[in-house]
Amino acid sequence: MKLDEGKRRKLIVFGFYLFLFLAWQAVFEIRLVPDYLFPSPLNVGERLWELGREGMLWPSIRATLYRMAIGFSIAAAIGLAVGVLMGTSRIVNSSLKSLLLGMQTLPSAAWVPISLLVFGLSERGIYFVIIMSSIAAVAISTSEGIMHIPRIYLRAGRTLGTPAYAMPFRVILPAALPRIVTGIKLGWTLGWHGAVSAELIKSSVGLGFLLYMGRELNDASQVLGIMVVTILFGLLLDRFLFGLIDLRIRRRWGLLASA
Amino acid sequence: MARNSDALPEAPAATAAPVKLRLNQVTKTFDSEQQSVEALKPVTQDIREGEWVVLFGPSGCGKSTLLNLIAGFETPTSGEILLEGQPVTGPSNDRLMMFQEHALFPWMKVIDNVKYGLTWEPGYRYRPRLRREKAMELLRLVHLEEFAKSSIHELSGGMKQRAALARALAPDPKILLIDEPFPALDALVRAKLYLELQDILVRTNKTIISVTHDPREAACLGDRVLVFTGRPGEIKAEIPVDLLRPRDINDPRVAQHAGEIAALLKEEEGESP
Repeated sequence: MKLDEGKRRKLIVFGFYLFLFLAWQAVFEIRLVPDYLFPSPLNVGERLWELGREGMLWPSIRATLYRMAIGFSIAAAIGLAVGVLMGTSRIVNSSLKSLLLGMQTLPSAAWVPISLLVFGLSERGIYFVIIMSSIAAVAISTSEGIMHIPRIYLRAGRTLGTPAYAMPFRVILPAALPRIVTGIKLGWTLGWHGAVSAELIKSSVGLGFLLYMGRELNDASQVLGIMVVTILFGLLLDRFLFGLIDLRIRRRWGLLASA
Repeated sequence: MARNSDALPEAPAATAAPVKLRLNQVTKTFDSEQQSVEALKPVTQDIREGEWVVLFGPSGCGKSTLLNLIAGFETPTSGEILLEGQPVTGPSNDRLMMFQEHALFPWMKVIDNVKYGLTWEPGYRYRPRLRREKAMELLRLVHLEEFAKSSIHELSGGMKQRAALARALAPDPKILLIDEPFPALDALVRAKLYLELQDILVRTNKTIISVTHDPREAACLGDRVLVFTGRPGEIKAEIPVDLLRPRDINDPRVAQHAGEIAALLKEEEGESP
């Protein structure tokens, strides 16, 4: 029996992870590295289970997601507004573009020291890091989306009698939406980096805090376990929330070859 | 759409109807820093109510430039364009343009696309029910009423063009401008759409200007065909086509006119080095 392309691919991916898991376990069995530095996947799973039972894991996941929800909403709102200004004004664009591109090259963790200095150990400092990490990506994509709208939509809007005041919301923003969503997706990922980086240093709850705590306790199982959880939630939101929105919009806007 | 067995009334004699659009010594030159390119030599034409004028010529002959000038996307370098005696300034839905690519808004359902042009129309503003009814009426006219709630990407190429036609007719434009109707469709779908288009538009007695580089399409659709040569663009000849509508693109008489038009173009091209 022949499997179709999609099923075959899924099987291969599953096989890859199975191999990774087994290789990890095998390296552990050889004991090249002492087991307190290199735990087995089973150790990691066990530690995560314990953390969950002790009521440490879930509140931390929730705390990080909550901070992201607040911080990233603010970043997206400001980023959109700045992006719209940049997309409509050449002067604003040429002034801000290099600054924002520069900000984007700065690693998220580099915002933590200044945040500590200004905000101390408060929650606001974590929001600050999230916002600064993600705002540039949203603003740049929004401005580029607006500047590269297919001209035909603008012309169609005008020939159909759209008054100038109605163009931004009826035509320009919807036409720019695919790129804006791409920017939001990227901004979310960068904000996620920022959130965990900030929590490493200035928090008593959150995924970053659990990483930090694992290091303090010399608990490699916890560190690896939390890393896996951080990856899983990052991936979950990136692929399944923003990824699906992105895909749906691209399909509707006719930007995907319908295969 | 089924072809009508009873023939539609013949296009009114060009001299009988009042002038809808007057082009008076209209020219266009595109200036860039390095050079200026003359795209259109002076054009003077009267287009009468209910007339279908086809601008025909090779690419780069200025026919699309002229259409953009009439639509108001570009401003003439000199000369004037008068719609019912009033000078044209900028785009407006009294000179509504249908584009090569359908240009439907993908973020709206089919019916919302058709309603869109009514949003700011006097008489329809603040009357969503009236807009809906008008849109449904137009969707019925183009046989898309079952697809009112569909998304644009769910429609076939021919259906998209029909939806675009319904959208263009909604604000009841004084002149419909059509840039290369249905270029991306296969021959069979096109032949059918030409009939539908004539049926609908001749019934509504719309004044139409369309652009094409296909001599058969020109002969099939136009009451008058203006033959352009490039560059700079200039009208070299004017060919009346007085066949009954709706005309089938495969009708031998259409082919005969198409032959004349094509021959004219060849002649012109032969002259240039």
